[in-house]
Formats: sequence, C-alpha cells, structure tokens
Amino acid sequence: MREPDFNALAERLLQCGIAPRHAHRTVNEIRDHYDDLVDAAVDDGIPIRRARQMATRELGRMEDLVAQMSARRELKTWAFRFPRAAIVVYPLACLAVLPAVPVNAGIANAPLLARWGASLLAAGVLTAALLLVLQLSILFG
Amino acid sequence: MAKSNPPFMSGVPELLLLRLLDNREMYGYELVRAIKEVTGEAISLGEGVIYPVLHSLERTGSLKARRKPVGGRTRVYYSLTRQGRGRLADLQEDWRRIQGGIETALESPGHA
Repeated sequence: MREPDFNALAERLLQCGIAPRHAHRTVNEIRDHYDDLVDAAVDDGIPIRRARQMATRELGRMEDLVAQMSARRELKTWAFRFPRAAIVVYPLACLAVLPAVPVNAGIANAPLLARWGASLLAAGVLTAALLLVLQLSILFG
Repeated sequence: MAKSNPPFMSGVPELLLLRLLDNREMYGYELVRAIKEVTGEAISLGEGVIYPVLHSLERTGSLKARRKPVGGRTRVYYSLTRQGRGRLADLQEDWRRIQGGIETALESPGHA
C-alpha cells in the first residue's frame, strides 16, 4: 500500500474549494495523525515498514477524506459557497479596482514621476527655445 | 478506512466527539483512540473522517481550536464552546428519542 501523499491531498482540497485555512490545517493534522499511528506501532515492536503500511490503512483513503470535506459547504471558500454571487461580484470588484491601479501606482512612485515630469518639461522648454532661435534667425538673418 | 460503519451512523461521529470534548480538550489522534475505548471498538471510525467533522463543528461555533506545542509537534486541541454544549444536549435528546423508538419497534410483535 502506498504511503499517503500529503501534498497531493492539500492540492485536491484546494481544488475542491476548501478554504485554505481548513485545507492546510487538515493536512497538518492528518500528517501528525499518521506519524502518531506509526510511532504507536513502532512502540509495539512492529517494524517501521509494516508500521507505515498499517498507519496508511488505518488513516483511510485520501479520496474519502476529500469527499467528506467537499460535502461540508461551511468549509468552502465564499466563491464556492455562493458561485452565482461570485460571478456577479468578482467582475464588478475588478471594474471598481482597475481604474484605481494606475492612480495607486502613481502615488507609490511619486518621486520618480516628479523627476520624469521635470525632465520632460526641461526638454520641452529647450526644444521650444531652439525652435524660437531658428525662427528668429530665418526672419532676421 | 479500516472498517466502515453503516450509513445510518451519519451524525454519530459528531455526537461522540462533542460528548468526549465535554470532559476535556483533546486533539484528533487522542479523540480517535478515546472513541475506540469508550465504545469498546463497536464504533470504528475511519481515522481521517473525524477531521472534516471537527472543522465543521469549529466553523459552526460548537468547538474552538487552539495550537499547543507538545513534544516537538504543534497539536491542534479542540474544546467545547457554550454553543457546543447546547448542540450536544440537542443531539443526545435526538439520539435517545430515536433509540427509544427503535427499541419499541424491535420489542413489539411483527407487523408483516
């Protein structure tokens, strides 16, 4: 019997919409439980390889655990519990947030933007001055 | 799971967990051992099955969980809340009613 794949269990729980808080804690608890089962068997004089096999069997199939967790709506994320509401709310939230993104970026990079603006202004003034000198030289040259 | 229980056992893990946690706080492995002990192994829960029940009871406010470092591991200990005590009382009442009904049915002459 293969030993439990705890990383795969975490992935499966998250895929089923289990809230990350519950998914990660469940995996940690199951892993500790498995270690306790192995330790208890080893303390009873059972060889480690056999102890691991017994612990895996006693713990049960990971797919059963995923099914049990998935059947409990209260353990799922908000979007999985209310999918129809999520379909409406998420795009609206994105529409509300998107215009704020460049504004926030500007505020966060204000000194850089100020230097960039000042450079552009200086370049514009210099170019205008050169064009004025050229124009005047054409007119009075 | 090592041994499965009939479908009518639905709800029994919840009752047993609440009853055991009414005495003192415990962690998952400890709870499974305690269930085997108090039921004389008549009820054999798949060991992983209790975690969805524990998390669900915590989510609905019947239990609270706290992390406690023990022997190099961080255990999650569960204890009963006031709401959990109420839930336990309700479940016990339901269980006794069902048990009484079934006993009556079993003792009465058959209605073939």
